[in-house]
Amino acid sequence: MAFFGLDRVSRFFNLIKENGGFRQSLYKLYRQNDLKSGTLVGTDKLGNKYYENNEYFLGRNRWVIYSPSLGTDFDGSAVSPAWFGWLHYKTDIPPTQKEHVQYSYIDTTPSPNPTGTNKAYIPYTTGKPKIQAWVPPTRS
Amino acid sequence: MALSVWSRRLPSLLQRVTPVVTTINTTTTSGSNQQSSVPSTSPQEKYKPYSPFQETSSRAEWAVARLDDLLNWGRKGSLWPLTFGLACCAVEMMQCAAARYDIDRLGIVFRASPRQADVLIVAGTLTNKMAPALRKVYDQVSASRWVISMGSCANGGGYYHYSYSVVRGCDRIVPVDLYVPGCPPTAEALLYALLQLQRKVKNMKKIQMWYRK
Repeated sequence: MAFFGLDRVSRFFNLIKENGGFRQSLYKLYRQNDLKSGTLVGTDKLGNKYYENNEYFLGRNRWVIYSPSLGTDFDGSAVSPAWFGWLHYKTDIPPTQKEHVQYSYIDTTPSPNPTGTNKAYIPYTTGKPKIQAWVPPTRS
Repeated sequence: MALSVWSRRLPSLLQRVTPVVTTINTTTTSGSNQQSSVPSTSPQEKYKPYSPFQETSSRAEWAVARLDDLLNWGRKGSLWPLTFGLACCAVEMMQCAAARYDIDRLGIVFRASPRQADVLIVAGTLTNKMAPALRKVYDQVSASRWVISMGSCANGGGYYHYSYSVVRGCDRIVPVDLYVPGCPPTAEALLYALLQLQRKVKNMKKIQMWYRK
């Protein structure tokens, strides 16, 4: 069967089964644009789940499924610093095996990027503005 | 600059819809920083809904919010930037559109005419000589347009800040929505900025603002 490539058919149905049925698979395709099966390596404080399956090619074998609390508004900044190294192949040891080193001078409560939300950082100047807006001359 | 205007309007909007104010205040105080430090299972497992407009007090407001969702969904799925490269950042911008990062899959297609574009990526050093042309191009882009300032030179002059012929930041010429740091920023950084812009577009309240007026 494997010689003719027919095992892909059964693999496809297994994938749907592992992802929790047809409806769940469709939902996962909507949210993650991908259907994958792998082993759960760990979960971080925010609720993001990290998976691994070494049958996939390097670069696709580790992935994160973001916390439901982020909805569809997730992005890469939600990955916690402890898991970043593992997810990006800086190290092969996940923080579940070896405790992530906490430095006092690094922010210990990281949060996802607030750009585009009302928590975004907006700088303002306290000094006198160096430029003035041009007021077009009007004909009286 | 446009972002600051947009967020400054929020409090005044909240004052008009009085019952909403109390609920919003409680959510912001409880769920900002403590959520990441104190792991609690219940708020994490709760799925955040697609729409950012959840607090609607009447049926009409609900309908208007859904219309806004539809409009924003369409807009964020078809952000068309203008092919407008000024310096070396433009190479990264092209790379972003090329096969590896392929912003085409997000519906972001480069258009050659300002009439068809709605995003302006200021990629590179903005010189004094180029500034009127940039402003002209910005004015030609049709309304509901966004500007991404890409790279240190466009953000604030960068390396050429003390030059006699360079504008110290393109926000002196056009209102900017997003600043991408870097010299030049990687194609990934620009892609990330475009994703952030999509998030901003998703939060726009065009029809709701019209209704409240």
